[in-house]
Amino acid sequence: MSLLSIQDLHIGIARKHDNDEIVRGVSIEVEPGEKLGIVGESGSGKTLTMLAVLRLLASPPLSVLSGRVIFADEDLLEVNEKRLRQVRGGEIAMVYQDPMSSLNPLLRVGSQLEETLKSHGARGPEVAGRVHDVLLQVGLTEPERVTSSYPHQLSGGMVQRVMIAMALLTSPKVLIADEPTTALDVTIQRQILELVTSLQAATDMAVLWVTHDLGVVASLVDSVVVMYAGRVVEKASTTALFVRPTHPYTKALLASLPTLESGHRSPLHQIGGTPPDPARLGAGCPFRARCPYAFDKCALEEPPLLERGEGSFAACWKEPEQW
Amino acid sequence: MVEVAVEVRNVSKVYGGRTARVVQALSDVSLTLERATTFGIVGESGCGKSTLARLLVGLEAPTSGELFVEGTSIDATKRSGTESLARKIQLVFQDPFSSLDPRMTVEKTLREVLRVHSLHPDNVQGRIAELLAMVGLSGRFANRYPHELSGGQAQRVAVARALAVEPQILVLDEPTSALDVSVRAEIINLLVRIQQELGLSYVFISHDLSMVRHVSDVIAVMYLGRVVELGRYDAVFDETLHPYTKALGDAVVVPDPVRERAKNLSLSDAVSISVAPVVQGCPYAPRCGFAQEQCRDVAPQLEQKRDAHFASCFFPLSST
Repeated sequence: MSLLSIQDLHIGIARKHDNDEIVRGVSIEVEPGEKLGIVGESGSGKTLTMLAVLRLLASPPLSVLSGRVIFADEDLLEVNEKRLRQVRGGEIAMVYQDPMSSLNPLLRVGSQLEETLKSHGARGPEVAGRVHDVLLQVGLTEPERVTSSYPHQLSGGMVQRVMIAMALLTSPKVLIADEPTTALDVTIQRQILELVTSLQAATDMAVLWVTHDLGVVASLVDSVVVMYAGRVVEKASTTALFVRPTHPYTKALLASLPTLESGHRSPLHQIGGTPPDPARLGAGCPFRARCPYAFDKCALEEPPLLERGEGSFAACWKEPEQW
Repeated sequence: MVEVAVEVRNVSKVYGGRTARVVQALSDVSLTLERATTFGIVGESGCGKSTLARLLVGLEAPTSGELFVEGTSIDATKRSGTESLARKIQLVFQDPFSSLDPRMTVEKTLREVLRVHSLHPDNVQGRIAELLAMVGLSGRFANRYPHELSGGQAQRVAVARALAVEPQILVLDEPTSALDVSVRAEIINLLVRIQQELGLSYVFISHDLSMVRHVSDVIAVMYLGRVVELGRYDAVFDETLHPYTKALGDAVVVPDPVRERAKNLSLSDAVSISVAPVVQGCPYAPRCGFAQEQCRDVAPQLEQKRDAHFASCFFPLSST
């Protein structure tokens, strides 16, 4: 059985009279120790899906319309507030994109880390000891200097390490990371990716890594979920995704990146068009306007996730060999 | 003779002083941008690349040294009015939504530029249509506000605004970083096409090494306010001389699981390095795996190590 199972999740945004659906039936399974990448552009629903897992959607205007989030035999969308607080930052921890705005600028880093542990029931001298240990674990070699600092006194890379330390304090079973390296320099990003890889190997924690960067996917995760217009359009192992993408959107994304092989200044592959507003979709496949392989059926019926071999699934009527 | 679009001569920029902490944002930087070519600048945050962009368009003045745009020093050009400098060199910012006025339609944004510079007073409408066509937007976008545009469309408008004054040089400061992955390629293709059509010279600043390599003729790698390596786009990455360029290139994640997983890097110690200015020796020495005694005593100068390939390192990696 999966460790975390998101089942047919629908999220709506309140308009004047009714709800517009912006996450449209997302299902994601996470196994213990799995590193799963969630790839998508802004507006694809990847962040909303992750926030919904911990019931952190800004409500109103956002709300879960239907679906379940099963963790440890419980539906997290149904559990009471007390249980929810145990899970949030306890068994499931989250790291956000902008670390500087995730910390309170007026409190020293140490007290914010200790507060996290205390809110999950830890007491006494063990609290400071645990904070010290975890800071060392994330590669901050001078824990005392870090704990006595205010957030602005640390560099961006150090603050993101602090955020990861905060997430690890309670030894979570699942770590959800929402683009935690996007704001960082490439060398610092590389350090964070290496750090998460080694910590994950040591703890068997499952990692859900939200990103738009296919390089990060290639570097870090075992399997990938690609989201587009509020739905999952492809699921695959990392290797299969890069060798044999089974959704035209994934293929186009990969082709748009300059590589060592692409000619200097030669035109890059353009996808053309713009991502649709998930709340304003008509019938049919939402990618069809940008898709070179679209045919009659694509305008009529939205394809479900279909098995495409080698463990890959894609929401496309055509097999890649038919493109 | 090589025609020069921009020359940066021994430029330094120091912020702070007296009571505030002194930051040396640029130290003795010299660069030459040949006309109708692209000069790429890469480096991490704090390396001085954005400071250089601000100096190039005259938003700030250097502490010492001089900058020349199309043969005239920026100082002299600005004395005859900032408009005359703006007519030659324009800056395109990273995030179009914060660089476009949210309360102006696309048409009004462009009209304002033409009015300020008294351009095409008899044919403002025609010129606006021409500018939109140049960046691949149809006339129906003229009446839209920035919030009614996608990221890619808004960046096209920002490019059109920069082109409105018919400049010879564009400074592009991370022009695709704020955009969705699927629209980056079209903005790059657009910039390359416009450069070829209009014969523009580009300064292209980015931390996306593969993109910089794709568009640039010459690339400068900057570290803590200095140029540490300078050369042709392929030489800088294929025959890397400076250990910092090597570290930067290795750190970049590439969309290829086989190559990624073959990498065995250890950058992990770099975080403990303080950002305190290095008073003596090579500024990269504290992070460098190849540093010797000499590197900690004397700062290396940017020197030609091979044909048109410069590095500031006593022990370059692939020396002939």
